[in-house]
Amino acid sequence: MANGDLANGGLLAVDGVVAGYGAAEQILKGCSLHVGAGEIVSIIGPNGAGKSTLLKTIAGLVSAREGAIVLNGADVTSEGALGRARHGIGFVPQERNVFGAMTVAENLEISGFQDPGKVRERSEELYARYPMLASKRRALARTLSGGQRQILAMAMGLMNAPALLLLDEPTAGLSPKAAEELFEAIVALNKGGLPILMVEQHALEALEISTRGYVLVSGRNSREGSGPALAADPEIRRLFLGG
Amino acid sequence: MTLLLQALINGLMTGALIAVPAIGFSAIFAVLRYPNFAIASYATIGAFVAWWANAGLGLPVVPALAIAFAVTGVVGVVAEEISLKRLRDNGALIVAIASIALNLVLENIVRFIFGNDMKGYDLPLARDLRFGELRIGPQQLQSLALAAIIMAAMFLFLRYTRFGKAMRAVADNPDLARLKGIDPARIAIVTVFLGAGLSGVGGVLIGLDTSIDPLTGYRVLLSVFAAAVLGGLGSIPGAVVGALALGVAEELALIVTPATYRTAVGFVAILIMLTFRPRGILGERAA
Repeated sequence: MANGDLANGGLLAVDGVVAGYGAAEQILKGCSLHVGAGEIVSIIGPNGAGKSTLLKTIAGLVSAREGAIVLNGADVTSEGALGRARHGIGFVPQERNVFGAMTVAENLEISGFQDPGKVRERSEELYARYPMLASKRRALARTLSGGQRQILAMAMGLMNAPALLLLDEPTAGLSPKAAEELFEAIVALNKGGLPILMVEQHALEALEISTRGYVLVSGRNSREGSGPALAADPEIRRLFLGG
Repeated sequence: MTLLLQALINGLMTGALIAVPAIGFSAIFAVLRYPNFAIASYATIGAFVAWWANAGLGLPVVPALAIAFAVTGVVGVVAEEISLKRLRDNGALIVAIASIALNLVLENIVRFIFGNDMKGYDLPLARDLRFGELRIGPQQLQSLALAAIIMAAMFLFLRYTRFGKAMRAVADNPDLARLKGIDPARIAIVTVFLGAGLSGVGGVLIGLDTSIDPLTGYRVLLSVFAAAVLGGLGSIPGAVVGALALGVAEELALIVTPATYRTAVGFVAILIMLTFRPRGILGERAA
């Protein structure tokens, strides 16, 4: 499935990935997905389904024991997080996603470590896009509110001009207003041409802004379809959204 | 009053000398998350390399200090790559114990090469400066100035350079740093070079103040460790504050206790700090 999608212009193909944390623990039991150019793709599912583990496996923080991960035609399965970052994967973790003891400006600067010649230009672009960051550029990241921190984390993910941005529960712990603003920011980013793959606890809202969605259950693909269609599916609403 | 002031000045001088290796110790702990007790031997090696450059080659103190920094930094990296690096996956305690063994090995290599005798640097004799009843040795002042310059250089490096910021990022969150394209292994090498180099420079500064022998570093190890714990393990400004506080405490203790109890001040300081504020004066993480 995955390689066929790549042949059709796909950006990321994950094919039958098996992964887990301990030697015996298996969280992902053969997950597959793909992300095409310009898409927002959401992964939803119940707690413990392996959604965050799947993102971490794609980012290279967890090793895939079986299966393949192909980005832009290059097999990156054997690469670690460092190699995947160099291949253009930007990952924004759910927690500890900023360097708390460093200022906002330093967080952006260090996130552009791979391409120091572009740091100033990209920082200024991000300050223009997110004026809050410009006004807080000298503040320590740990002093930011939850919503501000998520914006900073997302901006840090953009500093290396990624080919694909992975967001792990970006609205976790945010107020409804801050979550809504963050979803708007995600849509705006995507409209600029950046493909996004995200795991989100606010499944309904995430599916509504997504091109496509995947439902993960117990480490395996359960359903997939267009975002709005999944969001409207009565079974999905009953199972995962309480609708 | 004069006695107190003199103790305060002496304490700040001693503390500044301890602060340099304490920064090295804290930098290594911050990035690699284990206490490297081999810094004692790095201090000794630095002291002997500078002595060889100064008394053997006739170089002035500052170039000798620079050579000691570079040589000790390289020794630290080689020792790390050969021995401690292989043990890192087994946890901090194993690496800490291995660093004690490494310290013994390096200390005895120094003993084989340079012998057991005490050695002194080739320094011009000068009278103490007097300010009223207070006395300060010119060599102490020079060492204090050198320590201050080295500390300032380290702060500037960490605050303004790309590698310095990468070191802080890896110390803060190594996984996130890796996601940003920073190679923690490369940063670890830079950190060990700096940490070992600074320990070597600390050994030279201590040697300039007294004399050197193969136990020069070992004698100050407890003070260095206590300074790092006091300031907050892994905090570089904390290491400086801890070292100055410890230096003053040791000198003040000398007013009321015999000199033999001086070392006990370090132990007492660690005990008090771990009991009442385990994360240290400026530490951010719970110990």
